[in-house]
Amino acid sequence: MIVIEDVYKRYKTDHGPGKWILQGVNLTIPRNVNVGLIGSNGAGKSTLLRIIGGIDHPNKGKVERRCRLSWPMGQGGLEPTLTGRQNAKFVCRLHGHQDDLPERLIFIQDFSGLKDAFDEPVNTYSSGMRSRLQFAMSLAFDFDIYISDEVTAAGDAAFRDKAAAAFKGMTNRAGLIMVAHSESTLRQFCEAGILLYQGKAQWFDKIEEAFKAYKDTVQK
Amino acid sequence: MAEARNPLLVSFAVWKAIFLREALDRLFDMRAAWFWLLVEPVLHIGFLVFIFTVIRMRTVGNADVAVWIIVGMLAFFLFRRTAVQVTYAVDSNRPLFTYRQVKPFDPVLARAVLEAFLMSIISIIIIGTAILLGHEAWPYDALLVLQANFGLWLFGIGYGLVASVLMELVPEMEHVLKILMLPLYLISGVILPLAAIPQPYLDLLLLNPIAHGLELARAGFFPYYHTVPGLSMEYLYAWGISGIFLGLILYRRFALQLVMR
Repeated sequence: MIVIEDVYKRYKTDHGPGKWILQGVNLTIPRNVNVGLIGSNGAGKSTLLRIIGGIDHPNKGKVERRCRLSWPMGQGGLEPTLTGRQNAKFVCRLHGHQDDLPERLIFIQDFSGLKDAFDEPVNTYSSGMRSRLQFAMSLAFDFDIYISDEVTAAGDAAFRDKAAAAFKGMTNRAGLIMVAHSESTLRQFCEAGILLYQGKAQWFDKIEEAFKAYKDTVQK
Repeated sequence: MAEARNPLLVSFAVWKAIFLREALDRLFDMRAAWFWLLVEPVLHIGFLVFIFTVIRMRTVGNADVAVWIIVGMLAFFLFRRTAVQVTYAVDSNRPLFTYRQVKPFDPVLARAVLEAFLMSIISIIIIGTAILLGHEAWPYDALLVLQANFGLWLFGIGYGLVASVLMELVPEMEHVLKILMLPLYLISGVILPLAAIPQPYLDLLLLNPIAHGLELARAGFFPYYHTVPGLSMEYLYAWGISGIFLGLILYRRFALQLVMR
């Protein structure tokens, strides 16, 4: 379960503090529910996701994570001078998988389809290879809730199919909070929805209702 | 639901992972990076020993000039490398903060320990070579040498912590600190024997804790070394510990600003 209490967020700009992006977001996200974040561009979807993931921090308010929560899938930090394998090792160690390190590395190498490139420095990778590695790394661990920002778009067609299948399997056993621009992707994976509008968040048990409410806000 | 890991275990896992990652980066970042780590102090020492002996200066305050330079240089390098590495610890590990487990202080700790580890190996190699070349480079009071170097290391961490927060808050500080680092080499008595400096200027130079650390390390090597009057281990440690304390407070207060966009 994730409890978000009265979260406010604004970014620093070159000319002083910017406008408030999140203004008092209150949410309780249960485990085992797949939920999509809906809102127009700049409504703060990615910001909220980053705050939930603990990468960014709210100016006010707090987030409690009462479960094992992933980092934003496909956005795991990579150190460019190290090889894919070294980066993967680092992330395994961070998550306390020193003992079963070899199996996880095999999984990551297999799933990412990087083959020999897994032992080349990450700064020699193409952007597709990078995102394949990042996606494979996020699937290598068991989390209670995954968070995902536009992750299904990574890689070439063959990889996308594989990723979509793995993604579907994962969403069946764990919770998911996702941001995606395509409505069909959201409908495919999520049952509940959160609408972000004017800095506030509203929870809908059915994602269709969230879409309906979203369309109402757009027409206004 | 998977069981939550003990927070302490998480921290240890993070420290271990970052330490190994930093070690890889420091030793194999570019072609033969490990070689340059060793060669930099060797060249500095070799050059200075050459200059000193060419002008027929064989002893400084009763000490073999080569060993005098080696000990001072290694102690100074320990301080400077720790300080610089710690200063940029957060900045050069930015991608890692995507993982919630990593806190700003973690790379600082990993880098400081790594630097102490590397400088110990480098020091042993260089001093060992000096012994093989026939210099009397066995420390006569090894504990005093360790104590002085440990103090310099602590001060390096403190300096780095404070400097990194200052640079984050006021970006121009980077230039100021770089300018400050340069004369430090001269006024800390790495090259210039502090004993040769007359009063009242000596007292001014002894405000600098690094000068204390360097002279104390040398005093641990030579039983009959003429040190400068007024050396104090307590003074060095006072700077080191209060520097770390101040740095940690600043990290506590500004940790989010260091990482946040």
